[in-house]
Amino acid sequence: MNLLIVDSMTWTITVLGWFIVFVALVFLIGVFLTVPKILTWGTRRALRKKNRMAKKEVVIDDELVITGETNAAIAMALHLYFNEQHDEESNVITIKEVKKRYSPWSSKVYSFNNVNFPR
Amino acid sequence: MKRFITLFGVLSLLFSLQFVGGGFEAFAAGTGAGDTFIDHASKGLETFWNFTGFHNVHFTHLIMIGVGLFFIFLAIKYDYEPLLLVPIGTGVILGNVPFLEGYKIGLYEEGSVLNYLYFGVQQGVYPPLIFLGIGAMTDFSSLISNPKLMILGAAAQVGIFATFLGASAMGFTPQEAGAIGIIGGADGPTAIFLSSKLAPTLMGAIAIAAYSYMALVPVIQPPIMRLIIPKRERLIKMKPPRAVSKTEKIMFPIIGLLLTTFISPSALPLLGMLFFGNLLKESGVTERLADTARNAMINIVTILLGITVGASTQADYFLTTDSLKIFGLGAVSFMVATAGGLIFARLMNLFLKGDNKINPLIGAAGVSAVPDSARVVQHEGLKNDPNNHLLMHAMAPNVSGVIGSAVAAGILLSFLM
Repeated sequence: MNLLIVDSMTWTITVLGWFIVFVALVFLIGVFLTVPKILTWGTRRALRKKNRMAKKEVVIDDELVITGETNAAIAMALHLYFNEQHDEESNVITIKEVKKRYSPWSSKVYSFNNVNFPR
Repeated sequence: MKRFITLFGVLSLLFSLQFVGGGFEAFAAGTGAGDTFIDHASKGLETFWNFTGFHNVHFTHLIMIGVGLFFIFLAIKYDYEPLLLVPIGTGVILGNVPFLEGYKIGLYEEGSVLNYLYFGVQQGVYPPLIFLGIGAMTDFSSLISNPKLMILGAAAQVGIFATFLGASAMGFTPQEAGAIGIIGGADGPTAIFLSSKLAPTLMGAIAIAAYSYMALVPVIQPPIMRLIIPKRERLIKMKPPRAVSKTEKIMFPIIGLLLTTFISPSALPLLGMLFFGNLLKESGVTERLADTARNAMINIVTILLGITVGASTQADYFLTTDSLKIFGLGAVSFMVATAGGLIFARLMNLFLKGDNKINPLIGAAGVSAVPDSARVVQHEGLKNDPNNHLLMHAMAPNVSGVIGSAVAAGILLSFLM
């Protein structure tokens, strides 16, 4: 391997190429840091108004962001609620009579050999 | 009935007796074929022998068949990327069964079935379809919740450009060097896509190198991680990612598609399909299409891609010194890419404060190789602290590595085509 034989074009592509990849992804980062702010703009404004009326100092960002732990707690609570619903039963016990439908598969009639019987 | 069968048997025995002990000549005289019957028979057998693999075999074929069997062994025994290595390994065997050329059998013979299937690789049809499936099965929410981790995906692309430089220094043409460099992107479909455009003759070696090293991610990455990241930094716990709204998830593929393809239009087939697949998933109204893209379609294309890429490694085309160089460069590029991601993650930590600090191990996931490198990060994290789960965090640089390598492929394509 001899780096001296590498021409200037290759060096340019190497440096510029990596730089463009960086720029492209930094650009995406900028956009995706801004998008949530734009999306929550209306909610943020409403919260600010509400807080001003209630005359309280609250950090609005904390009210907007739901962390993973909060989500997990909500999910767990919902899970328990829906699962426990099963325990609240009507307490009416109904015994259903078991009825067997006729099936020729187990019929004794077909298990006899009738060949030698006179007709 | 029994009598009839006995009579028929005796008659056929008498008929066949004439062929034993000079009976051939008698039969030939009887049918008027002269003494050429034996000649014909021996000629036929000789032609048949010439057609068999035993006659055409060369030791290089046996080496490649051994490689194919080794791939299948790795996939079955050690579970290394079995969905890729089993088709590729079988393809390697298929492509190296010796045959007589000129009968539309081999992959490189025009009009053969394998050649038709190979069309999808040659013209870069399969990789975008694979990307469609990947898009339809990828959850970008970890990336959307913490977009700054995307920079790690860019940092790890240093592997591509360092290998490009290395390949140029080893005497490869700029186009070939570009195609070899993309191995550092650790992304099979992107490697196939770029090499089919820039250096079709090296595509077999590049694809095999890319997929082999992707399968060996659990072997290559951990030592580099331990070397670069000190123990106390490996223990950093990251705060859980915030919940991402459905609107953000829908907007991500649309904005991502527009931005990345405007910057690098050459990567349009790859990035377009990736984000389209993700839009199918996240829109919530095209579940049937998303389901097909992430299951049936990607499976079909993976089979075709694997078998044809494997079969493209015919010994006469594959076993060259260039292939050996490509394998060497591929290994180096994987290591450089991993190191690049890790070092950049440590650098990022210098500017981050408090609980915003990141665990530098996730930098290794920036090399793409979805989801294996993220799994390796999770595994290493758990080794150091059994309560430190890094998988979700590692998925962010992991998927941004896919975007980064596709953008890099587009850049190389636009510079070198």
